[in-house]
Amino acid sequence: MDEEKKITGKRNILLSVISLLILCILLFPLYWALITSLKTEQEIFQNPPTFYPHILNLKSYAAQVETGDFNMFRSFGNSFLISIGATIIAVLLAVPASYGIAKYRFKGRKMMLLSFLVTQMLPVSVLLTPMFIMFKNMNVYNTWIAAVLADATIGIPFSVLILKNYFASIPKDLEEAAYLDGCNKFSAFIRILIPIAKPGVMVCAIFSFLYAWGDLAYGMTFILDQEKRPITAGIFNFMGQYGTKWSYLTAFAVVTIIPVALIFIFMQKYIVSGMTSGAVKG
Amino acid sequence: MKKKKITALLTAFAMTAALATGCGSSEDTQEPASDAAPAGEEASAEESTEEAAPSGDAEAVTIWYYWETEGHQVALDQVIQEYNASQDKYEVTAKYVPFADFKKQLSIGASADELPDIAILDSPDHASYVEMGIFEDLTGKFDVSSYYEGTVNSCTVDGKLYGVPFGVNCLALYYNEDMLKEAGCEVPTTWDELKDTAKKLTKDNVTGLALCSVQNEEGTFNFVPWLWSTGAGSYDINNENGIRALTFIQDLVNEGVMSKECINWTQGDVMNQFIAGNVAMMENGPWQIPTMQAEAPDLNWKVTLLPKDSEYSSVLGGENYAVINGRNVDGALDFLTYATSEEKVKFMMDKFGYISADKTIAESQFEADSPYQPFVEELNYAMPRGPLAEWPSVSDAISLAFNQVITGTASPEDAAAEAQTTIDGIVK
Amino acid sequence: MKKIKKIFRYDNVGILFVLPAFLYMLIFVGYPIVRNIILSFQDVNAGNLVRGTKNFILFDNYLELFQDNVFRTSLFNTLRYTVLCLVFQFVIGFALALFFSKRFSFAKPVRGILLVPWMIPVTVTALMFKLLFATDIGVINYILRSLHLISSNIEWLTTPGTAMFALICANIWIGIPFNMILISTGLTTIPKELYESASIDGANKVQTFFSITLPLLKPTIESVLILGFIYTFKVYDLVYVMTSGGPVNSTHMLSTYSYKLSFEMFKYSKGSAVANVLLVILLIVGVFYIKATTAGEEE
Repeated sequence: MDEEKKITGKRNILLSVISLLILCILLFPLYWALITSLKTEQEIFQNPPTFYPHILNLKSYAAQVETGDFNMFRSFGNSFLISIGATIIAVLLAVPASYGIAKYRFKGRKMMLLSFLVTQMLPVSVLLTPMFIMFKNMNVYNTWIAAVLADATIGIPFSVLILKNYFASIPKDLEEAAYLDGCNKFSAFIRILIPIAKPGVMVCAIFSFLYAWGDLAYGMTFILDQEKRPITAGIFNFMGQYGTKWSYLTAFAVVTIIPVALIFIFMQKYIVSGMTSGAVKG
Repeated sequence: MKKKKITALLTAFAMTAALATGCGSSEDTQEPASDAAPAGEEASAEESTEEAAPSGDAEAVTIWYYWETEGHQVALDQVIQEYNASQDKYEVTAKYVPFADFKKQLSIGASADELPDIAILDSPDHASYVEMGIFEDLTGKFDVSSYYEGTVNSCTVDGKLYGVPFGVNCLALYYNEDMLKEAGCEVPTTWDELKDTAKKLTKDNVTGLALCSVQNEEGTFNFVPWLWSTGAGSYDINNENGIRALTFIQDLVNEGVMSKECINWTQGDVMNQFIAGNVAMMENGPWQIPTMQAEAPDLNWKVTLLPKDSEYSSVLGGENYAVINGRNVDGALDFLTYATSEEKVKFMMDKFGYISADKTIAESQFEADSPYQPFVEELNYAMPRGPLAEWPSVSDAISLAFNQVITGTASPEDAAAEAQTTIDGIVK
Repeated sequence: MKKIKKIFRYDNVGILFVLPAFLYMLIFVGYPIVRNIILSFQDVNAGNLVRGTKNFILFDNYLELFQDNVFRTSLFNTLRYTVLCLVFQFVIGFALALFFSKRFSFAKPVRGILLVPWMIPVTVTALMFKLLFATDIGVINYILRSLHLISSNIEWLTTPGTAMFALICANIWIGIPFNMILISTGLTTIPKELYESASIDGANKVQTFFSITLPLLKPTIESVLILGFIYTFKVYDLVYVMTSGGPVNSTHMLSTYSYKLSFEMFKYSKGSAVANVLLVILLIVGVFYIKATTAGEEE
């Protein structure tokens, strides 16, 4: 990794400034949501718009905590549970599958690869009813398990398709060395390949988590009780309740984003290094 | 090395095996649920284990409703608690299903046979679910003779009663008294006066009139009074009258007295714009009154009949109770008998800002100077949508038409003709 | 050595690795696909969803669809939306991935933070963009006015053409980090030695990009594009929250129209047919993808 030299001096400063500019442009919508949530309704409608709240208004945040049977913190916990569950299933199933597809040539391989893709091709509207019937028969309707099982169906194919490339790029000689060492196919996979593919696995885990985190349709349809619903379901409540009361809506948005952003900031070291460690070298 | 190899192999095998069985076998999925055992059962079972504890063997009765307003939820809940305390045979629980999801959840629930015992649903959808065959025939079980005819019609199909009206509402015109006074305007009673007044009231940050024009049932609800006021019917749009209604709405937008944003404003948004002082007059329903009184206590507003073209007209809204067949019908009926008693109806109607569907209750429900009173008067001119099993498709055609004229994508004539073609394909 | 090579080829042991995931998907998505195909050939509506006979009317639903204006608009919208989103988010994402692969001080932390748009639930993103594109209070109109690019406010979300533009902008914003992170990961798999030897050979940056980076990234690019295509093509939440298919159906997509038919108008079979059209189009794209990605492989 260190073959390429670090950039220093003026060029470093220039590139860093450019990167900050990019950051500002791309994150502007987030900033706008944040300050809108801190303005009074009156200031939101002010023309020209203000770029920071002149009168700080925290009422919209208090409303998130006070109202109704939809509890922000509990729904955050539900979302977390559902997303972690879906991520575990997705990673456990997708990692071996992508290895198998990348490294072996067996009959029906292309068909399987295509069918993983096909499972992603139906819009939710037609998946809801049959899945609902299945979950009801499995006795998991109205539990977080239903959402976990459904959300994993988004993460698995995605991870297979991404990881397959990763495994394919791992040179054969590493495996061959393992076989010469007396490993068989399974132990070579577990002891040699998974550690090497860790960055790829990490990325898949993150994506699976985020797909589950952002899911609305499954969580809303398969879980009926408010107290078991994921946080995204709250958006429906708040949209109905507050209409275009933007201070409330954006406060809800900010509250939804903050915990994820925090987790991300703490995990960032692992995520970014995982992605770019360059573990796979020829 | 050999030992390692075997362990690794076993681990791998165990893992694969675990995963293979993990893909949907119920043993596997139930295991993690065991600590939340009731959650794993279906809703009715859950209640019978959790909440029947004190009385021993109360039967569960579930209700689905879609009111997101907290006041509504609390009021309903209070009636339910009182009911549960009054007897020990049934235990009622209510579940909130967001409006945007309500139809979907009922459709899916019907396919999967996973429905509540009682649904409180939007009246224009009633006929569709009757056709689906999921509602119990209630003919002769409730006395609805003193109810408003339109509300009873909305839950009647082929002469049979498939529901009980919960409460009724209609639309009328709210106006900001101070703004009218300032502009020196009278309260409008005809379309011409309305347009004129709206023009005078429109200023920098204020538009004269707002009505929810979202392209869905909610928008249709707000548009049909204008359509009907010309003498046109819901299924008869491509004529002079229908085109006049569309032209009127288009003119309001083109002349800038009504914001084009109305096609994105729900009735709640329209109300928010009104109490924020951005809109001088609005078409809206009585259920907004409690919120308006709480959020803008200093605002001077009044309600009057919707201005007319050739006749006064409004639209009947509100919800109906329906009992799902093949489930706990007795329990559902018992609760409904309780909830439709005069005392409970009065209590809920007041909290909801609704008018009782029972005419005799409605007429003495409010004081003469109550802001609700104009709505009681307006009810005399209010007609129901449908009832028709295909109403959602008719409504879709109507809402497309007024959205076309508001956005200027079609002339009133073309929009009317297109809507008529669609409606003819459904009704005739 | 020969023995070892054999392990990599024609080895049905590979199936054991793939089978658990395959079965999982077969159970949870296979059945819905089959059910949906059957449903689309029937005449199921409110009247016979629960009781009554479901007649097979074969292709009638599909034939009706092609005379349906909203369906044709949805189909065209979906294609236009997907292609435009894909082009922009891929190009921008790729450029950012290359930019941040340079080793300057802020590269890693800034790239990390740029992933945040991707972590936000789509429904929340949709809300934010609805606010940005609002007519009177929207900051986009304000900025354009300040730059004297427009003289009066544009009614972004209530005018047919511009509503689509707003949707595309929102989706590109979501898609940029997606493309960037996957391409960044792909870049790490390229051996650095290749660049070194190229620079020794006197190749300039553009040449190395086209002769080394692009060819070696091919599998990654293919995956990114195909997955991007699929996820963009069946967009639902974003449209539902921002425009609900309006104004006057101008932003309906196949997925939102299918949902509307099924759950708002009780036309279940017709809704399924729309979903199947979506499926068939994606299937064609998928087959090309499989062909392309497995073409170079030794069989």
